Amino acid sequence: MGAAGARRARRAGGEPPAAPPGPLLRISGLTKGFPVDGERIQVLSGCSLEIDRGEVVAIVGQSGSGKSTLLNMVGLLDTADGGEHVFNGVDVTRLGEAGRARLRNTGIGFVFQSFHLLERRTALANVSVPLVLNGMPLIRRRALARELLESVGLGHRLGSRPHQLSGGEQQRVALARALSLNPPLILADEPTGALDAATSSAVLDQLISQARKRNAAVVIVTHDPLVAEAADRRITIREGKTFEEP
Amino acid sequence: MLRSLISGLVLAFAGSRANISRTILSCAGIVVGVGALIAVVTAGHVGQTYAKAYGEANTGVAATYEVTSPAPVDDVEAFEEDMLRAGGEAVALQQPLDSAGIQLRQGTSVFKDPTVFYTDPSLSDIRRMNLVEGRWFTEADKGSLAPVVVLSENLAEQLDPSGGYADLQIGNSEWLRARVAGVVEGTAMDDWGGSGTVYLMRSPATEEMAFPAGIGAADEMGMGLTYRVRVSPDGSPGEEAFTERLAGTSWRWGPQADTEMLIVFRADSFEEIEEVLGYLSLGLFGIAGITLTTGMLGVLNVGLVTVRERRRELATYRALGADRFAMFVVVVAEAVVVSVVAGLIALLGCYGIAGGVQAFVGDMLPAGVSVTVPLQGVLVGLGSAAAVGLLAGVIPAWRALRTSVVAGLRE
Ligand SMILES: Nc1ncnc2c1ncn2[C@@H]1O[C@H](COP(=O)(O)OP(=O)(O)O)[C@@H](O)[C@H]1O
Ligand SMILES: [Mg+2]
Repeated sequence: MGAAGARRARRAGGEPPAAPPGPLLRISGLTKGFPVDGERIQVLSGCSLEIDRGEVVAIVGQSGSGKSTLLNMVGLLDTADGGEHVFNGVDVTRLGEAGRARLRNTGIGFVFQSFHLLERRTALANVSVPLVLNGMPLIRRRALARELLESVGLGHRLGSRPHQLSGGEQQRVALARALSLNPPLILADEPTGALDAATSSAVLDQLISQARKRNAAVVIVTHDPLVAEAADRRITIREGKTFEEP
Repeated sequence: MLRSLISGLVLAFAGSRANISRTILSCAGIVVGVGALIAVVTAGHVGQTYAKAYGEANTGVAATYEVTSPAPVDDVEAFEEDMLRAGGEAVALQQPLDSAGIQLRQGTSVFKDPTVFYTDPSLSDIRRMNLVEGRWFTEADKGSLAPVVVLSENLAEQLDPSGGYADLQIGNSEWLRARVAGVVEGTAMDDWGGSGTVYLMRSPATEEMAFPAGIGAADEMGMGLTYRVRVSPDGSPGEEAFTERLAGTSWRWGPQADTEMLIVFRADSFEEIEEVLGYLSLGLFGIAGITLTTGMLGVLNVGLVTVRERRRELATYRALGADRFAMFVVVVAEAVVVSVVAGLIALLGCYGIAGGVQAFVGDMLPAGVSVTVPLQGVLVGLGSAAAVGLLAGVIPAWRALRTSVVAGLRE
């Protein structure tokens, strides 16, 4: 997505620009290691992943297998040591810090296990953050944030702060925030890990249905077999590599 | 870049509002420091206007010479013309008269103590005459057959003002009905005895009363007339050049006068005031600067502590699309917002204090002087507050940027 495209998108009210051809995300041969006590621990040693628009993909694997590490790179929060990574037609390995930030803002929505809402800030203000960073004027971003909170069933909690909300409600605020600029990709790292079973399935249903409504792809890292079941595809990480499950 | 700047500012503002306790904590030091700075500027300004008003009322505006003529001056008019030619912009006679010779009388009371000056309308072009009532002399008063006077306030208070100070008389053995044109705020310089000052206007009707031996004749001490001469504000021509030029034309106005006796010196206190105030404000600025630095260290400290606490918050911003520059702006702008808010609080405090002081001592201050925070105080105060915030914000901001997004999100 070029700058002109992004500008057009903003003027059109957050609608994504015409999608470039090919899959939404293509990763191959991705490697990543971390220095630990002077040695380099190889966590990912050749991950490949291809995701189409609107697809819901679950990533499973044992704890410590590297699921979060992979997701952080898909989400442009961290850089890989090597490999190819094309997102929405952009070779992200060639982007600088500002370009990656811009792409995170408009192209990717995040839902974290621990919500990562800003404390002391209202639900409305939390949902507004990506809109502020996108340069949206006050009146429009207020209206849009309100609309988004209404769409996740929190129209009556606009002025609530995170500590006044239940875990499920907080995660719905985070979902509204992730959806706010209509990104083509939503990343969720164990989004229901901090929630009880009943709340989990409600939040998950909402995540998937909202994403499908907007034709956004979803990548969910999960332990929960039920979640994995709800996805279109399942990918396992084992010994630093990705495997497609049948 | 612009978008990062704007969004950084928006988030910073929202952040300072949301974290009131953090904001207040960082404020305290700045409030005191900026308050001290504004107080110093205000005090300096009041001091300067006070000294200027005092000096201009007592001695003259910048630059004023006191000129004592040699005696005798045969042609007073020519002497005065030549003072203008020598570089004077305005010339006024300001001749103290022998108080034994001229007194005031109203009814049966005689006032022999006031200092009496024989002077011209143009004196008000040289000195600041702060009129309390009526007006200063005009050229038209020259036609008056009665002597025209302006009285100092403390003298006027001893008189009966009814009917425009009716039956006020001036003279000694021979009394003339005096016309009071106005009342002026007294000055320490003119009121030697403390019992008031009379300004008697030079006119054909009064010349003989003022100078029984004739104007321009030598007095008992062999001295001539005393003048106030205003020259250019930068003090040119200097006293020497002025004296030389004036003495050079003595053949016109006093061929028998000994020009060695011509005395010219700078009367206004402008240069001394500037110098004293300069030293004074240097010291006060030093104190304010130290206070402000202490305040800045406070903001810096709070900034550093909160950045450690805020790594998660800042990482969240970055995950949601803030680039490094926007993050930098967020942290720096929060410090600036905090400092400017503190500066505004300090400013309000100073306005309050100045208002209180004015209510208390306002009556004692000379005309044109009041205790108020001057515009430069506002600018210096808010400017230094913003500068301190900027300085105090940069180090925490740089710290904040060193953490990786992933590490910040894991906290
Ligand atoms: N910043 C880091 N420094 C060192 N080791 C790390 C770092 N991040 C992750 N790791 C290691 O990489 C491995 C994979 O971590 P992670 O991706 O979080 O696993 P998962 O999410 O699948 O449980 C773990 O062994 C973890 O200790
Ligand atoms: Mg994990």
